[in-house]
Amino acid sequence: MNNRLRVLRAERAWSQQDLAERLEVSRQSVNAIETGRYDPSLPLAFKISDLFEMPIEAIFINPSKENAQ
Amino acid sequence: MARHNPAQRRYLRRFFPAMTAYVVVLFACTWAIRHYHPQGAALFLLSLLPALPILAVIAVMGLYLTEEQDEFVRHRLVTSMIAGLGIMLAFATVWGFLENGGVVPHLEAFLAFPIWCGCFGLVQCFLNLRDRMSGGGQ
Repeated sequence: MNNRLRVLRAERAWSQQDLAERLEVSRQSVNAIETGRYDPSLPLAFKISDLFEMPIEAIFINPSKENAQ
Repeated sequence: MARHNPAQRRYLRRFFPAMTAYVVVLFACTWAIRHYHPQGAALFLLSLLPALPILAVIAVMGLYLTEEQDEFVRHRLVTSMIAGLGIMLAFATVWGFLENGGVVPHLEAFLAFPIWCGCFGLVQCFLNLRDRMSGGGQ
């Protein structure tokens, strides 16, 4: 699933490792989510949403809406 | 950051004693069978004993799967295990028919577990390599 994680992370000058530590996951997880190779579970998506203080749909791009664009 | 997370450290703390026990029990039982030529129940027991630490290793792997908190790592492991299982089953099917035709020698059934471990390890290496090649770094 496409997302804005890399951009949001860069805006805060966080490395993948920084973000991984804040989310309590591995750096590989952050990388896999950022590159769209892995879709996080709902609990992890909410954790990401809480961390960036943004709604989930502002971080992760809804695939059905993405196709409609 | 630590190289291994707590679940991985627990896995290693359980895995190595089980493998050490396997080597010790295997050598002890092989030695006892060759020197004492036991029969009946004693032979059954001595033949069975080396399998028990391997059963423990399988249980340790299962425990790790349930204890791993990182969902991507768990997902990656399960994917590798299933892919490894598919390769092992395909290999066993082909080998079985070739063996039936007398083309290849007999393979012992206890080799299924190490062959599966090898297959799923190779799949994990392949997936990790693919990640690195597609921008797995920073």
